[in-house]
Amino acid sequence: MKPADEMAFVEFAQSTQPRLRRAAYLLCGDWDRAADHVQEGLIRVYVAWPKMRRSGGEHAYARKAVVSAFLDSARKRSSTEYATEADASVATGEDVAEAVTARRALVVALEKLPPRQRACVVLRYFEDLDVAATAAALGCSQGTVKSQTSRALDSLRSMFDESPTGELVILNEGTSSW
Amino acid sequence: MVNELRSLLNETSDNPPYAAFDAAAVLRSGRSRVRRRRAAVIGATGLAATVVVGSTLALDGFRSPPDLASAGVPTPAGTVLRLADATPAVEGDDYRVLTTYTNEDLDSDNGQYLDGLTDDGLVLFRDAPDAQDRTNRLALMDPATGEKDWLPAPPESLEQIRPVDLGTDRLLWSTMHYEGDGGELRGDLRLLTFDRQSREWSTMSWPGLPRLEFPSAQLGPDGRLYVGVPATQGKPPPGGWPIQPGGDAEDADAQGDSHDLWSVSLTDPDDVRDEGVRFGDLAFTDESMVWTDRTNGDSGLVHVRDLATGEETEFDPQSGEKCNLLAFGATDDRIVLGQYCGTYEDGVRDDRVQVLSTTGEQVVTIQDSDIDGSLGSGGEPGLVRVRAFQRGSEGYYVYDLSDDSFVRVSESVSKWELGGAAPAGHVMWDTSANRGNGATQVLAEWQD
Repeated sequence: MKPADEMAFVEFAQSTQPRLRRAAYLLCGDWDRAADHVQEGLIRVYVAWPKMRRSGGEHAYARKAVVSAFLDSARKRSSTEYATEADASVATGEDVAEAVTARRALVVALEKLPPRQRACVVLRYFEDLDVAATAAALGCSQGTVKSQTSRALDSLRSMFDESPTGELVILNEGTSSW
Repeated sequence: MVNELRSLLNETSDNPPYAAFDAAAVLRSGRSRVRRRRAAVIGATGLAATVVVGSTLALDGFRSPPDLASAGVPTPAGTVLRLADATPAVEGDDYRVLTTYTNEDLDSDNGQYLDGLTDDGLVLFRDAPDAQDRTNRLALMDPATGEKDWLPAPPESLEQIRPVDLGTDRLLWSTMHYEGDGGELRGDLRLLTFDRQSREWSTMSWPGLPRLEFPSAQLGPDGRLYVGVPATQGKPPPGGWPIQPGGDAEDADAQGDSHDLWSVSLTDPDDVRDEGVRFGDLAFTDESMVWTDRTNGDSGLVHVRDLATGEETEFDPQSGEKCNLLAFGATDDRIVLGQYCGTYEDGVRDDRVQVLSTTGEQVVTIQDSDIDGSLGSGGEPGLVRVRAFQRGSEGYYVYDLSDDSFVRVSESVSKWELGGAAPAGHVMWDTSANRGNGATQVLAEWQD
């Protein structure tokens, strides 16, 4: 890669990695593993960078690469690991116990979903992608995205219903923050 | 307390612990992979080829009509048709619309769908889970009047349901059941049966059947259910996938995946059989079982087993050197292969729908850029459905296997994959609605 391209890549990576890291955290429930997924995703972006940059698809590709890194990692894991203790970082700066409980409940509930269902929820409701873009990012059909999302939301709702946290609702679709 | 999912996702991830971004480590690893990739053979990848279609469109949008020859796309052997060879279909002459259904906004939420047609001409109508109602509701709809006969609620949640057989006496769907805490990717195949006379549901599962990722199953002419259990999965080349302009992986000539063929009885849960056949894609005609060695990559050979005599033949389909098999079907004495065969200069794609006889003769190849296709319905007449995304040529096309006619039936395609099982002589397509946010499904009867 030419030095100028490499500088542009570093600038892109530095600007985009905070958002990617948040998405990766929601996918895996662990900030350290999230950093690993983001690093792996950005390495894949680097490989594609010279051609990709010209067509303006770098953000979508980076997101896809991080999700792919997470799914690859999920496949390799011998068992599903659940967070059993609160991550102190989640509660940093917060003094509303109820809100912290709800966030913790969400992390635990997400980790109980199969990886692809979790990815559907994060892409659809954190990244605000539509079904077609989610299918492209996950490498599956739109029908699968719909059924997986539906199944995931059902599970999340019942997990919230069964907890003291309260009801989980979804308001109208928003626009992407990318 | 009410918790809104989007807000909760944002709040949950909004306060990360500090961690310096190690750009140098990314650069070191990236440079290393680029060097390895240059040394690797450009070619295969494990990425699902269907995704390339979707993501190419998502990133590049619709391009102008391409010139395949100028882009260096190879021409297949035998008769070749392009989209430009199709004539406009005439409603009333070529087909008769039985019914249509429009979802105005599928981007916002799930909708209602025409999922297929029963053997006695009723439409399987599905009201899918949405924000208001998290269940699938099913009805049989009279296409002439639109009147719906809602089926009673099934015995268990219907997720990932796929119609297997929509008969006059019973309706069959395959579905999945996941045990445990949901951390697994595979589950148990289940068959849901609705008896149309008693209006009762029943569920069947087979403890001896290996677990599956998807409820893919088809009914054989012998009344057994045939299932593919994942066996081998193609791998990307060393160093990663070659990348196209636009950032998509170039996965032409992928290694492909294979499955082991199992069959199960619809009446005895202990009657589970390993058929001893490893295959990529599989299809049945009334007289034969047809399969490829692999799917989602190089198809390998095509095998044909005569169901009456058990005699087997095999042949090389003579697909292009870089073709990935994406869709597969067979009817009567015809085999249909949907393929992606690489991307060439200026992003021009080599997409093909190859039609062969069951003895291996080339019948026709529909070849163009940004198309996909498959057998739309078997029986008589067999209809091949082609979907085109090219600007100026966008729409659905139908190739009639009985008279080799090739017509264009719509001038737009929705971005949704809709439709379902259409019996002989029928075809379904979907057009864009509400500026792309929704879709209109069309169910039509083909005219002789």
